Amino acid sequence: MPSPLPTQTQFVLDPNWSLWVIIYFWLGGIAAGSYFTAALAQLIGGDCHRAIIRTAHLIAFPLVSICSILLIVDLYRPERFWHMVIQSETYLPMFKWWSPMSVGAWALLIFGAFSAASFLNSLWELGIRLPFGNFMNALHHGWIGTIFNFLGSFFGFFIASYTGVLMDTSNQPIWSDQGFMGALFLASAASTGVAATYLLTPKNVETEEGLGELNGFDRWAMILELAIIVIFFIALGAALSSIVLTSIYGLILVFGVAVLGLIVPLLLHRFAGHARWVMYVAPALVLVGGFLLRYVMVMMPHHI
Amino acid sequence: MANAKGFFTDTTVCIGCKACQVACHQWNQLPTNSAFALTGASYDNTLTLDAYNWRHVKFIEQFPDTRAADAGRWLMMSDCCKHCVHAGCLEVCPTGAIIRTEYDTVYIQQDVCNGCRNCVAGCPFGVVAMDHVSGTAKKCTLCYDRLQNGLTPACAQACPTGSILFGDVQDLLTRARARVDQLHSQGRTAAYLYGDSADIVGGLNVFYLLEDKPEVYGLPSNPRLPSRNLWPSSGLSILTAAIVALGAFLNFRSRRLARPNANPNA
Repeated sequence: MPSPLPTQTQFVLDPNWSLWVIIYFWLGGIAAGSYFTAALAQLIGGDCHRAIIRTAHLIAFPLVSICSILLIVDLYRPERFWHMVIQSETYLPMFKWWSPMSVGAWALLIFGAFSAASFLNSLWELGIRLPFGNFMNALHHGWIGTIFNFLGSFFGFFIASYTGVLMDTSNQPIWSDQGFMGALFLASAASTGVAATYLLTPKNVETEEGLGELNGFDRWAMILELAIIVIFFIALGAALSSIVLTSIYGLILVFGVAVLGLIVPLLLHRFAGHARWVMYVAPALVLVGGFLLRYVMVMMPHHI
Repeated sequence: MANAKGFFTDTTVCIGCKACQVACHQWNQLPTNSAFALTGASYDNTLTLDAYNWRHVKFIEQFPDTRAADAGRWLMMSDCCKHCVHAGCLEVCPTGAIIRTEYDTVYIQQDVCNGCRNCVAGCPFGVVAMDHVSGTAKKCTLCYDRLQNGLTPACAQACPTGSILFGDVQDLLTRARARVDQLHSQGRTAAYLYGDSADIVGGLNVFYLLEDKPEVYGLPSNPRLPSRNLWPSSGLSILTAAIVALGAFLNFRSRRLARPNANPNA
């Protein structure tokens, strides 16, 4: 029986994922994006990007740690957070490959371990000698380092995208009415992760060339993100897209995320790329756009 | 499942007395909503299923603005969890708190649920709701405790008109189809069963006899499982990751090509 409604998810309840989840999606994206960027830079470009890679590693682990706290705080029963990975009655591992939240909980644990190892290695390289620093340093070099970076980039990509797949894999309006949320969040993780790394990397002669390459990669990610936003609306269909675009959330998505967070930084790099202030303003705008994207996507289904 | 238990709800004989709601509240010791209020929009003041209303009698008041005496009608439907054969809530629950019982019903273990609300997002019917006092997800249990003691669920026992029939799902289906045939023979040709076939999330153990479109009763005509998007979304994410990696390759390769033996010392 055909439905007269533009979506079959009109009757569901709001899960009330709060600001904690929105911030987690944002910071988790930055952490994952900066980490897989560092891993790819190491794998492809070699050690000539060490200063940038160090910065990315120093960003990723603290943010992932904050993310873990945010996720626990968001639970209505935070003391039961461990039920995500351990069965409370049998104490056996709790894992459902078909549930993105279950897989994501495990992936977050593993990604946390990778980012912690890289964080300790970066401190070691900076001369801060913490326990196991030497071992962590060994993990990042030679063939072991190649495997480590390959696996690290895999889990980085996973953390960057699973939150979007989690939203797609629901029955919420808009979230489940297309299939591009995972792709969109991954592209946004790339743009925001690179932006954070670019923002915090020391600007000097040693890093100048690497920052230029990082900038080129950021442009690639931003253009990809813009393309996916367009595809997102096409996938939603005319009826839902018109509802979204005529709402405050649609306006934020278009003007806050696409224009302010992507197009303006791209134009700044294109026409004023040599100005020093652009090095700070453009990535800051990308980060703001990344937050607005998560805010809009989480809030939209039940507030339009 | 051969032993599946469920409800057949015949909306054509529901009189909206809400005895089922009261019985559900009493047996399950559910509190009333903290602030009693009249909605002003309907004779029904419960309005929706939630953590404290595991059963809800919907009043669908179809009256024209003219209030012409012969133009309107009441539709009433006693609603609850559908105990889907393929349940969206059970599918996405990351803790294993939601289980399928020996009666093929869907049950939330209150001592396991950690309040992540993924089941709320996954239920296509808007049944599962959060209890802000216990911090856990709640819904109809199909009186699991009563079933274990050979009793009929409280709502079905209390229903004075036989609108809610409890029993083995296969037996209920036979009775339901006979009831549809009976109504059709009486000229009520709009009557049909909702949730009796596997087309709707594998079939509903709690299914309905309706006389209008599902949406009129607040039911989706084509409810689906959350997992329908799992592989497409994952595939698109992998494709995006490949494009991102290609971007990294194109931008980070230049100096490696220029200086293949660059000193790696950090």
